[in-house]
This record gives sequence, C-alpha cells and structure tokens, in this order.
Amino acid sequence: MKLTLQSGESWQYQLNQPEADILLGLMKKFPFTELGPVQFSKTDADPKTAERKKLLAESLAQHREELKGLAVNLLGADKWQKSDSGRLLTLNTEGREILLQILNDIRIGCWHALGEPEPLEQPVASGQQFAHRQLMDLAGYFEMNLLEPEA
Amino acid sequence: MPQVAEPVTIPRPVIERETESADELAPTYYVICWNDPVNLMAYVTHVFMKLFGWEEQKARKHMLEVHKKGKSVLVREGAEKAEFYVHELQKYKLHATMEPAE
Repeated sequence: MKLTLQSGESWQYQLNQPEADILLGLMKKFPFTELGPVQFSKTDADPKTAERKKLLAESLAQHREELKGLAVNLLGADKWQKSDSGRLLTLNTEGREILLQILNDIRIGCWHALGEPEPLEQPVASGQQFAHRQLMDLAGYFEMNLLEPEA
Repeated sequence: MPQVAEPVTIPRPVIERETESADELAPTYYVICWNDPVNLMAYVTHVFMKLFGWEEQKARKHMLEVHKKGKSVLVREGAEKAEFYVHELQKYKLHATMEPAE
C-alpha cells in the first residue's frame, strides 16, 4: 500500500489485491476495544472527577457508535478502482481520518486482548494470541502506510 | 512686594485595588498524554497536529517527550477546554488525563 496521489482533500492509495482483501477483512473486526472504565485524572483529587468520568464514558460510547455508522460505507465499492497492479483506494481527508481511528481501535483492542504486553514484542502462548498479534501488526501496517507522507 | 501664590492642593490619585477577573480565578488544568507501547509514533504525532493545529516539529517534540519521559504536558487550559481535549485524545485511543495545575 502506498500513497500515489494527494490533492486537496483527496487521498489515493495503491494496494495490491491481497492488501485490499486484508484491509476489507480488518474493517469487519471493528469495534475491537471494549467499553470499560475510563480514567480522567491520575490524582482524582477534584470532586468533579466522578462526573467527568461519566461524561467521558458517554462521549466515548457515542463516538464509537458514530464510527460504526461511518465504517459501513467507508470502503464501499465507490471508493475503489481497478488498476494494473491491484486496486486504487480514494478517500477524502475525513474518510482517511475515520479509517485511521478504526485501524487504531483494532490495534489497541488486540493489545488489550494480549494482556497489554510491554514491551510489545512478547512471545505468544496460544493460537488465539498469535491471531491477535497478527491482527495488531496488520492494523499497524495500514496505519503506517496511511500516515506515510507525514512520517 | 512680590505676590506669593496660594499653595495648590493636588488631589491624590485614587488607586483602585486591582481585581482579578473570573477567568484568572478559575482553576486551570494540565492536559497530559501518557506513554504506552502500542500507539505508533507517527499516529501520535498526527493526532497532536490534527487536534491542536501544531506544526509537525512541535507535535513530534511532544510525541518524543511522551515516548522518552513517559508523559508530556500538552496544554494548560480551563476546565471546559481541558475536558474537551481529554475527550478528543481518548477518542483517538491515546492515554490522556487532566490534572490540576494549582
């Protein structure tokens, strides 16, 4: 996957067929992170922290629902063109941003599922852990390539 | 005999006590981003640029601070704006909190 054209709000990426298939498969994994307790402050000294945590949890849940809705047609047929070496994916800036967030949700969700290893490169102990590791790396691969011009 | 002018009493200027505006009295908060091993460096830089409108150099400086020192103070803001930034950063799955600035 690589950026082939960027003009104004339009971003065009060249993917080979396996990359396109994997990316479309990854989209079906979203959302991968679980909605759980949130942290708003390390000190928790502020009496308003509890209320702020509640609002944050609501805001994150709402954002996830919005992303779920936007994910449905994000990589729809109208975004793809055939090319000699695979497929061309055209996104506008907002679509690229949404795709980044979706991929990162999958990456972070896999990391949670792996037990939040630190450092990241830990030996995996089961087939399921191997699958999570692969998924995490794949999401990272696409994120890096989406961001390549900025990296 | 020369005339002597009457002494003139110059009124003392009235110095009003300086008062602090409500904004100056309101508590402020640091918005802090904490390190994790999973968010990609390029992604973190991108989020900082997008959210705060920073140039790449500044965003990258803060990203490296997070990476090397474990955290970076991104901005100091009033409660409402600090809350907004924490919400946005967490929507991007970055580990961000707000702490009283005292």
